[in-house]
Amino acid sequence: MMRLGWRSRSERFETEALPHLPALFRMARQWVGPEAADDLVQESFLRAWKYFDTFDKSTNCRAWLFRILRNVWITRWRKTRLELPLSESQEEPIEPYYDWEDEFLRGELSAEVQRAVSDLPAEYRMAILLADVEEFTYKEIAQIMDCPIGTVMSRLNRGRRMLGRLIRTQRREGQPEFEIAPSEQPFRRKL
Amino acid sequence: MIDCKQLREVLDLYADGELSSEAIAQANQHIAECGACRRAVENLSRLREAIRDAVGRPKPSPELVERVRSLILPRWYQTWAAQGIAATLVLAGFLTFFAPGVRGSAATALDYFSIRLDTSPRQVVMEGTLLCRDQQLAKQYGYRPMCRITGHHGWLVTSDGRFWGLLEGSVSQELIHNSSLLGRRVKIEGRIFRKAGSIEVSSYEFL
Repeated sequence: MMRLGWRSRSERFETEALPHLPALFRMARQWVGPEAADDLVQESFLRAWKYFDTFDKSTNCRAWLFRILRNVWITRWRKTRLELPLSESQEEPIEPYYDWEDEFLRGELSAEVQRAVSDLPAEYRMAILLADVEEFTYKEIAQIMDCPIGTVMSRLNRGRRMLGRLIRTQRREGQPEFEIAPSEQPFRRKL
Repeated sequence: MIDCKQLREVLDLYADGELSSEAIAQANQHIAECGACRRAVENLSRLREAIRDAVGRPKPSPELVERVRSLILPRWYQTWAAQGIAATLVLAGFLTFFAPGVRGSAATALDYFSIRLDTSPRQVVMEGTLLCRDQQLAKQYGYRPMCRITGHHGWLVTSDGRFWGLLEGSVSQELIHNSSLLGRRVKIEGRIFRKAGSIEVSSYEFL
């Protein structure tokens, strides 16, 4: 790989990599929380700068940076061992959605969704955020997460179904156990 | 045309824009005719939107931006401490090369340091011509002479063309610093340090 001069290297880094800082920060907050996000982003950019000569200009710089972000996150996770890895001995089959036409997704959702997203297993959460927030293609997600496209598809499918179940459960828990009839409703007596 | 089961199986791909244009057309046709599948599509889209809203667009702090930006600056530029060290080195270099007293002391210290590494001293009597060190180095290696600032610095040049540094000492003072003696032939007695290329003068006489 051709090594660039310091000046052209830093100029390229500034125009190609630095504009993605907010996106990486947004993702880091979801992965590790607001307290550790700064450190994760800084370490990722440090690694990106170190290996910038190996970045293929014809590829997507944002996806390359997210891959580094994930690798740094995994390294940290391996060091701290705070969370167990997702065991995927075999690829899960994609299940068809049959329960998505009811009304559980109506109304204001953001607080419930935020809680539900943070309750998802890390790899599902990551796949969903990369697809829905960052709008990466399946191919790019597969590169970032270092897995086959089929695994991306099954993680998105299962992750979204889990998310739906979590939101549904939260909504059910937030509602009263029995419904009280509105007072203005006329009481009908059978005559 | 696809049926409900087929649509529900590719719902993620449809929502994520991963289907081919032909498959999208078939899916759209089914969705237009099936209310339940339409609601499922709408709900999945709503979920995706709710995730985007929940994540929001938090901005990185100016400190983080500055920290990341500083990564691409040269290392020596990054800290005040490093800048202080750089400034001290520049000043020391300036003093060494432009302040005559400091420069002479530094050269003498280097001379003595070099003879300490030289374990081959022996007593000799040598004959040669006194010539200015800087002028000789300028002639031979293009070294920038500092004679105008520091004065000439006497060296002994022997008939075989070799240069010998005269170590600073009470006896060698005249030979080194009296520029009126340059060009004079002289016989020197003293200790020679061959590896360091220096002579410690114990006595001399002009020829």
